[in-house]
Amino acid sequence: MEQSITIELNGERRALTVRTDATLLEVLRDGCGLLSVRETCGIGICGACTVLVDGVPISSCLLLAPLADGCRITTIEGLSRGDELHPVQQAFIEQMAFQCSYCTPGMVLSAVALLAEHPEPSPEEIAEYLAGNLCRCGSYPRILAAVSDAARSLRQGGA
Amino acid sequence: MSVGQAVPMIDAVERVTGRIRFSQDVRVLGMLHAAAVRSVVPHGRIVRIDTAAALQVPGVVAVVTGEDLRRLPGLRPVYGPQIEDQPVVALDRVRYVGDIVALVAAETPRAAQEAAALVAVEYEELPAVFDPLEALEPGAPLLHELEPERPHEGTALYFGIRPQFGTNCCNLFRIRRGEVARGFAEADLVIEETFRTPAIQHVAMEPHAALALWEDGRLTVWSGTQTPFNTRQILAAIFGLPVERVRVIVPPMGGSYGCKVFPRIEPQAALLAYVTGRPVKFVLRRDEEFVTLTRHATVVTIRLGLKRDGRITAKEVRAYWNTGAYADCGPDVARKGGFGIVGPYRIPNVAVDSRCVYTNLPPAGAFRGYAVTQAAWASESMMDIAADALGLDPLEFRLRNLLRDGETFATGETLHDVHFAECLELAAAAIGWEGPLRRELGDGRVRAKGLAVVMKGMTTPSRSEAKVGVDRSGRVSVYSSTVELGQGARTVLAQLAAEVLGVPYQEVRVVDPDTARTPFDNRTTSSRSTYMMGNAVRQAALALRERLLRIAAERLEVEPADLELADGSVRVAGAPAAAIGFGVLVEASGQEELVELGEFHNQGGLDPDTGQGIASSHWHQGAGAVEIEVDSRTGKVTILHAHASVYAGQVVNRLTAELQNLGNIVFGVGSALFEELVYDRGQLVNPNLSDYLIPSFLDLPERMTHDLLERPGAEVHGLGETALPVIPAAVGNAVARAIGARVTELPLTPERVLRAIRARGGERG
Repeated sequence: MEQSITIELNGERRALTVRTDATLLEVLRDGCGLLSVRETCGIGICGACTVLVDGVPISSCLLLAPLADGCRITTIEGLSRGDELHPVQQAFIEQMAFQCSYCTPGMVLSAVALLAEHPEPSPEEIAEYLAGNLCRCGSYPRILAAVSDAARSLRQGGA
Repeated sequence: MSVGQAVPMIDAVERVTGRIRFSQDVRVLGMLHAAAVRSVVPHGRIVRIDTAAALQVPGVVAVVTGEDLRRLPGLRPVYGPQIEDQPVVALDRVRYVGDIVALVAAETPRAAQEAAALVAVEYEELPAVFDPLEALEPGAPLLHELEPERPHEGTALYFGIRPQFGTNCCNLFRIRRGEVARGFAEADLVIEETFRTPAIQHVAMEPHAALALWEDGRLTVWSGTQTPFNTRQILAAIFGLPVERVRVIVPPMGGSYGCKVFPRIEPQAALLAYVTGRPVKFVLRRDEEFVTLTRHATVVTIRLGLKRDGRITAKEVRAYWNTGAYADCGPDVARKGGFGIVGPYRIPNVAVDSRCVYTNLPPAGAFRGYAVTQAAWASESMMDIAADALGLDPLEFRLRNLLRDGETFATGETLHDVHFAECLELAAAAIGWEGPLRRELGDGRVRAKGLAVVMKGMTTPSRSEAKVGVDRSGRVSVYSSTVELGQGARTVLAQLAAEVLGVPYQEVRVVDPDTARTPFDNRTTSSRSTYMMGNAVRQAALALRERLLRIAAERLEVEPADLELADGSVRVAGAPAAAIGFGVLVEASGQEELVELGEFHNQGGLDPDTGQGIASSHWHQGAGAVEIEVDSRTGKVTILHAHASVYAGQVVNRLTAELQNLGNIVFGVGSALFEELVYDRGQLVNPNLSDYLIPSFLDLPERMTHDLLERPGAEVHGLGETALPVIPAAVGNAVARAIGARVTELPLTPERVLRAIRARGGERG
């Protein structure tokens, strides 16, 4: 069974025909070629497949694509403007907040959502908010530092 | 210049924008998708396989079983890096829950998975064995029938291994130094204890992913593997091809930590592509990752002879490495663990028997720390038990026995550039060792401190080659088969070439491993690449530098000695105006690109029966110290401060070097406190990230600190693993101090800690 859906994907209106049992992850990755959306656990635990749906970070491996109909979806491809990086991305580079970087897109998107909700988070609030994003390389201390830096830069009008 | 500085990865923008492409992202026109049918019994004979229903699934192109494999002429159906014991698809027997029984190729991943679920397999179950000690008892079911005449057929043999024929022991590695009987006779005190570690999993975020393509009798495989050249050799052996007809291309990996060392899914993808004539991609599901490779579970018994003054007179070790159903590199793990368990101490009489044992569990192999985490858990726990028995401070006891520069290790090799004591003292100081080692806070909360120190070998002998070139546009390229798995290999190799050639490191192109384009390298393992490949790159860059200087000297009519390299050009020293760009010099040479080759190797090896020789051409040295808090009402352990001090020799990139230490500490926390694969009669109970936990933001020690110890003029020492094995051992020692009882088995779960507290209470009561 297939169904037609319309989504706003990284600022562009997209009409898609999807299987009714397809996950948003499959549609974004295989259908739309957005390879930054990555699967690790497949059960909504690890955060590697995080995308923003109407600004809210969700595990795209758990959301059936038909349920995204009418939603605004942001992947990391929609975050930077051309070569101009988002302040969170910039902070990740400056703090070297990654190693293999497989988890980085999901981590950055979760951090963007956090900073939209709490512009001045404490390290504990950052850790709590990002607890659903796993980094097996263990770059966590650098990620905390990067998110704090990004918060500061956003508050100073960096975006 | 960037060497020694803290500089971002050259591919940082690719990474934060999600544009970096991993092996799971590789796709080609017309490719099929693979799925595996896996055994549901731990040991059994295959009676019948019915593929009819699977073949009816729309989109299915092929279902391949062992019977099909056997019918293909010229194929070698088994493989393995050290013992060829693993079938590409089970031939007549399955040996663990998860063993591959059949392979499916289909137009979509969903069709392949659906069909795999419809393959019906009938088994005749055989007796199974899961514990390595039970597996060595007479009458235990045998996993393999290794024969003395052909213990390790083929060419994939790296060192002398000693299978014990007619048993499940696939390698017995021994060290014999001095006479332990005499050492124990001289001792004032002899103590003995047994320690255990469980199987754990790497949980690389990116699963194993490979794509195989046949063209005109040539096989090309894109795979996230740490071993491109071993994989090429093994694929060539399976398909009966000369190695030059197999090409292995390695995109960056989304983590590996050892799970992508040696072929794991490449033979299966290549077989399906061979049968179907179409490219085939094989990506493992997460639950399959858990049954594909693990870290060896261990049982280690140590007997230690001690003098009252704190000297160690003898050490006897019996170690059992549960390697599961297939040897993989388990024989080598048992060997490296065999000398790792001795520890960096001065011990005149040493006897080690280290056995790699088959059982009906998923295969175990390389894992970050490579045997040293399990070795240190046993030997560093034992050092604290010994210190307590002698009434000595654990730091002081270790310092009295640690090897110093120029002293001889149990293998008979003399150690140089030795910094164990410095590392340990730095670590102890970092957590305030001079203060009280144990404090009761009330409410059953107890704080305590613990230490550990380790030595870890680097693959010896081994060899690395690299090419460095410059083209007519003046662009410098590094051609290296060191794989990028997040450690920043591309970046440090670019830095090392840039340093020699006087160009910004960001402008150096690093060509990813491709056995058809990049020269030979042993493999990206054992924290060897920054040192071994780094030196090969430096050699190549130095040769290229000489060549550019010669060409420029001719054109400028000066001596090469009067010239210098700067900003991508050669110029007369002190006269920047008379500079000739690299590109112009290449053009002058009449070539498109000037390329030079560099090579670096180390030498050594051990006698497998005595453990004498050179185990490692230089040693990774590190120490860890932690302060923990135990809630003795619940058994919960909290790490307040974890510190690692690691000998770096010279740091090439401070940022990526620090990340290795921090990442290892985090990895060690999971291993210390909660990571454990749980089996029920061979069936893995927790093959998912809901039931198998890895450290998250909320599991970090409250403080994490570390040192990178450097010495002017010293060799670069790899940092990829050293800080990991010290953490579980240091935490174990701190917990023992806190609760006054020893937990001898990892991980230190609240249940185990509570049981130890209650058992201690029982003793006292």
